[in-house]
Amino acid sequence: MISQSDIERIDEQIQLLKQAALALSDMAVEFPAIKRNAVRILSSVKMMEINVSDVVRLSEQA
Amino acid sequence: MISEQRYWNPMLETLPLEKLRALQLKKFKVIFRWAYENSRFHRSLYAEAGITPSDVQKFEDICQVPKVEKSMMRCIQCKDPFPYGDCLCLPLEEVSNFRQTSGTTGQPVYQADSWQDWEWWAESWAFILWAQGYRPCDRVFIPFGYNIFVAFWAGHYAAEKIGCEVVPGGVLDTQARILKIQELRPSAMMGTPTYMLGMADTARNKLGIAPEGLGIKRITCAGEPGASIPATKRRMEEAWNAKVFDHAGATEIGAWSYECLDQPGGIHVNEALFLVEIEDIETGQIIDEPGRRGKMVITAFDRMAMPCVRFDSKDVIEWDERPCTCGRTFRLIKGGVVGRADDITKVKGVLLAPSAIEEVVRGQRGLGSEYEVVVDKAGDIDRIVLKVELSPGNESILKRIEAELQYQLRLKTNLGYVIEFHEFGTLPRYEVKARRFKDLRKHC
Repeated sequence: MISQSDIERIDEQIQLLKQAALALSDMAVEFPAIKRNAVRILSSVKMMEINVSDVVRLSEQA
Repeated sequence: MISEQRYWNPMLETLPLEKLRALQLKKFKVIFRWAYENSRFHRSLYAEAGITPSDVQKFEDICQVPKVEKSMMRCIQCKDPFPYGDCLCLPLEEVSNFRQTSGTTGQPVYQADSWQDWEWWAESWAFILWAQGYRPCDRVFIPFGYNIFVAFWAGHYAAEKIGCEVVPGGVLDTQARILKIQELRPSAMMGTPTYMLGMADTARNKLGIAPEGLGIKRITCAGEPGASIPATKRRMEEAWNAKVFDHAGATEIGAWSYECLDQPGGIHVNEALFLVEIEDIETGQIIDEPGRRGKMVITAFDRMAMPCVRFDSKDVIEWDERPCTCGRTFRLIKGGVVGRADDITKVKGVLLAPSAIEEVVRGQRGLGSEYEVVVDKAGDIDRIVLKVELSPGNESILKRIEAELQYQLRLKTNLGYVIEFHEFGTLPRYEVKARRFKDLRKHC
């Protein structure tokens, strides 16, 4: 069984991944290959947020 | 080791009920606000009802939010901006996928999805496939037309996501598909119940191949209620020597439910991704208790390009009182989707669900799997004509079959039928959604 602290660590890594993908997306305004792949990464990150972060951050304001 | 895990998401699928409801409320607020702020269609619907996102604070407030009906979608899509009308919440350049509904009940509705939405489709199907035992070692054959309908597209992407090897059985006819299965020996398959039965029939009667020996271990069905109708499930399981699982979803909604490996006689609602409400068909009251049928009103929490907020699906369902032995806390829908509110009609004053007829026909030995029901009038009196096919070799016991059929139909539906026997193979065959129920009374 995954512990609460493991879940929180997963969430931290998801947020780091999101920041990195957002940074790549911002840097790639003239670089379609990076921009579009960053969009795909961000979509996958969103799925991880749905799977983990939305529950971890349940007490935060909607 | 990952393959031994029972759940796709061990946290969400076993979330305590209280936490699950809190998650649903929070996510409902987010998607409601998103639709309100970004879709002119939703904004005007809510303005007309005098409701704003700040009015939804607790779970009981949700039912105050107006429902969206398919007819509304058709209406707004007749107008600009083409082709989605005023309900698109993202710029058109962020739309990556077009799908349309099958048009079974009228003009098809066009559905836009962003890439993130498409990831979400695959994610929701990943819950389904994992719960039904799909694992990276599976080779999955998908005998579907890969066309404009969403059908098994997301099942394909989800199987890839899980790590399965996917064989797209697209532009092949049924015989070619069977030969490809014989060659590649896939372990799993997806299709409508009608097509799964039709394929088995073609294998046996046209190719002389025994479908039960082809090595298919599991089949995931969608598009029709059949895989939750015990007699139809049994026919498929016997024909293919495989476990058959149900799943219910829709183009405008997403893949909202799944049968798990424990096969408890119902389907789980994926309550982490969807909010299912059951509404009394007559009074509109929300039904929370098990055992009372009503129509489904559903919200998809994370679909962004064209949100699905309190969509009146007209699927007739009921909550199951039992928790599932699989350990998931997602509630069960007893017996799956039993029909559509549009199809459940009164005949001679009795409520008739077509799925009850299917259960009888497919539970009757000596009959083929195809059938058709026509309701019309003989003078002023309602009449139900049931067309069935006699399986070859059963001609001598036709009278007995007819008598058993009449008896079971009376028992299960409280109605009498005119039974027509047709030659095996002459009733229409369907690949996607079958249209077996015809109510002609308004034309009489």
